[in-house]
Amino acid sequence: MYAGIIAIIVIAAAGYWLMQPAQEPEPAPVPSEPIVYRSTWAWPTRIDPAVGSDGSSTAAHPNLYNSLVRITPEGVVGPELAESWTTSNEGMTYTFTLRQGVMSHAGNEITAEDVVFSMDRLLGMGEGLAYLFLPYIDEVTAVDTYTVQFDLLKSFGPILTVMPNFFVLDKDVVMENIAEGEYGDLGDYGKEWLMTHDAGTGPYKVKEFLLEEKLVMEKYEDYWGETLDVEGFKFVENAPDIMEMIGTTEPITVRTMMSRMELERTDSWQPIENLEEMVQTEGVEMIGEVGTSLLNLMMHTNKAPTDDVHFRRAMVYAFDYETVVTDIFPHTTLVKGVVNEVLPGYTPDLEPFRRDLDKAMEELEQSVYYDQLDEIEIEIHWCAEVPAEERISLLFMDNMADLGISVKIVKEPWLSMIETMADPELSPNVVVVYNSVHFPEAGGDLMRYHSESAPTWEQNEWLLDETLDQMIEDALGTVDQAERFEKYGEIQEYIYDVCPTIYVLQTTTLRCVQDYVDYPYVEYGEQVSGFVYKVPLGFRTYYGLYTGVNQP
Amino acid sequence: MNIKKYVAYRLISSFFVLFGLSLLIFSLSRLVPGDPARLALGPMAPQWAVDKLRAQLHLDEPVYIQYIYWVTNVFRGDLGQSLVTRRGVFNDIFEFFPATFELVIFSVILSTSLAIILGVTSGKYANSLWDNIVRVTSYVGIAIPSFVWAIMSVFIFGYLLRWFPTLGRLSSGVVMPTKVTGLLLVDSLIAGRLGVFRDAFYHMILPGTSLVISRLAQEARITRASVVENLHKDYIMAARSFGIPERTITLKYLLKPSLIPTVAIMGMDIAGSMGGSFIVETIFNWPGLGRYGMSAMLSNDINAIVGVVMLIGVFFAFMNILVDLITAYLDPRIMMKLRGG
Repeated sequence: MYAGIIAIIVIAAAGYWLMQPAQEPEPAPVPSEPIVYRSTWAWPTRIDPAVGSDGSSTAAHPNLYNSLVRITPEGVVGPELAESWTTSNEGMTYTFTLRQGVMSHAGNEITAEDVVFSMDRLLGMGEGLAYLFLPYIDEVTAVDTYTVQFDLLKSFGPILTVMPNFFVLDKDVVMENIAEGEYGDLGDYGKEWLMTHDAGTGPYKVKEFLLEEKLVMEKYEDYWGETLDVEGFKFVENAPDIMEMIGTTEPITVRTMMSRMELERTDSWQPIENLEEMVQTEGVEMIGEVGTSLLNLMMHTNKAPTDDVHFRRAMVYAFDYETVVTDIFPHTTLVKGVVNEVLPGYTPDLEPFRRDLDKAMEELEQSVYYDQLDEIEIEIHWCAEVPAEERISLLFMDNMADLGISVKIVKEPWLSMIETMADPELSPNVVVVYNSVHFPEAGGDLMRYHSESAPTWEQNEWLLDETLDQMIEDALGTVDQAERFEKYGEIQEYIYDVCPTIYVLQTTTLRCVQDYVDYPYVEYGEQVSGFVYKVPLGFRTYYGLYTGVNQP
Repeated sequence: MNIKKYVAYRLISSFFVLFGLSLLIFSLSRLVPGDPARLALGPMAPQWAVDKLRAQLHLDEPVYIQYIYWVTNVFRGDLGQSLVTRRGVFNDIFEFFPATFELVIFSVILSTSLAIILGVTSGKYANSLWDNIVRVTSYVGIAIPSFVWAIMSVFIFGYLLRWFPTLGRLSSGVVMPTKVTGLLLVDSLIAGRLGVFRDAFYHMILPGTSLVISRLAQEARITRASVVENLHKDYIMAARSFGIPERTITLKYLLKPSLIPTVAIMGMDIAGSMGGSFIVETIFNWPGLGRYGMSAMLSNDINAIVGVVMLIGVFFAFMNILVDLITAYLDPRIMMKLRGG
């Protein structure tokens, strides 16, 4: 009896002790009250800049590493590790002069040899964003300690716009950490080690990387921007000391963390209902970032009946775009052409496609399939992992019914969809897909219409049009920006006439944030409407520019 | 057949079961649509890089050749490379297993102790108010899956009441103890860091209880049924007629035989928790095997999928043998048979 009572008391006391939050003073590796900035992201994050290419990876890269050049908040190419650069040989050679005295996190000075090594590594591995450089870079050579020369295989106009995606690694650090691997003397090129560590020069360095949980970065106090006193590369006051990228997008978890002020910014994958719930919490607000992606309905131009341009135009005019941006995806915007209007090189000369049933019927009557509508069934595939796409498909079915076209909706897992879209025979008439741009110019979107993209999920249109291929190659090879943009305009007009795609919407990325943190969007961005800010193109997630205070 | 021979026999038969499992999961992972190499490198990766990775993974060979490569490497302790983490699957499993194992151990201790207490008291006082409460709540517990409990517990205890943390294994800013076993509770004690121990325990409560509830309800019901059945057996009546105290009858004569069916279920539940914690781990951002397995499936990470499933298979096989041995210990008739009696 007494033993039982004593046991209960002991258990209750232990329980009480365990319930107390951990307040034991730990051996503190950071100041007692660091400014912590926490955000959630879709996982996994691959911090090796030669491997990662998704959203969370490319958010981490510019904080851990530096590029030769960057896109400034004003949207133009500016210096970063390279102080200056010159172009010669009709745009076939670029020579960069490096900043002297830039030290890596390991304390080694960054020289031309590191740049050569980093580009060789990127091209040799062929992963991540290497595809942006592989068709164009012939050779990179160190002219002297601080001069590096890039020789191109063929002219590539947007090379400087693409260059911020190339990050420089400290060669010595990588070579100290290579393991056995498939690259001969270079082992695994440091790939395994660099998945959880960095060899960079960026404003933050890896403090801890808990795979499948979070990446913790800490401010690098000897960042070259500070030590070399370079304007635009210094930490702003109250920049975070600790940056946590947390790998979850689970709505209830994210909402709980926001309400408890354990999170400063949510990921961009939260359902609108969850975002609207979160803004009910005091101190939480919603921000929108105008994205460069488009949601498209890609029409197979080599499969009946969508192989007929009049049939496609009829579908384009029958689709109800307004309903999408008002009811299905509120806070997104209508497309005003064939690429996102925020992209340099976008042409405003094309009349946007809008629902017009009269025009749709006119086009349909010109179609060779007009007399066979009873026998025709259009198949539309949507990605099973994105439930909202079903609503787009249902709207499409409803709209097409107005023309007497019957539609079959097919829900398909993404992995299966990729397989289907790789085969022109299996590819359906219409597919719902989000398309991102490869670099912030109209060409970064238009290049998906090249025949090389046809067997990928990027192009269900199967245009396989040699003239268009030629136009795209010519535009991308044009060094002069004005001339290049003019050629982009011609390509947009060409595609507009062929009408291979229903451009559903321009994306807006919605997130919730704590109001005690100031975001660079407000500082550099242009307020469009309400909470929507226009993010300067190419602006990357530099946590060093975030200003805030520790959570109250 | 003695016990050693029995264990050897079970180990050999488990080997064949695992062989069958490996054939099945290996073939299925290769039949899933989508080229794993292309998926890993992205749609724009050059074909030579994709071909290189395909060759590295032996995807350019027939499936049976791929399987032979895989089996040969398994015997060398190499489960292949993960396409998501780009590390060896064996290293990944070694890293993620302790987090899940710790969670499972926590939930086993909780569910076993509570299930026995609830089952025995409910069975002993069958048809009483207490019994009715336990039975009704058990039904609710069984009917609701663990991930729903997880979401509800985050909402109630994390969002509304704010009693417990809902994310990860440690609070933000708390430094991990030096890794010895990978079990945070153990490692923090080894390091003498009681604050970390407390924080780790605190983080384990919601995910642990979410895993426990449906299992606990099932085990409590089975224990109750078994207690009710044994309560009216002759040897219990005989014990009572000899004037043996009721507490001794319950703990010594009633509990042991009543636990036999419960142990069988518990064994499977424990093994099931290893693989069944996928969604719970995702909700709590718990960096364990379940979350790793989930990432692997979503990314068609073929080697990781096979590695995780095989580990769960091994765990199941091991638990089966353990359950048989415990059952033999609890039931003298089985023990006698094993000893050739």
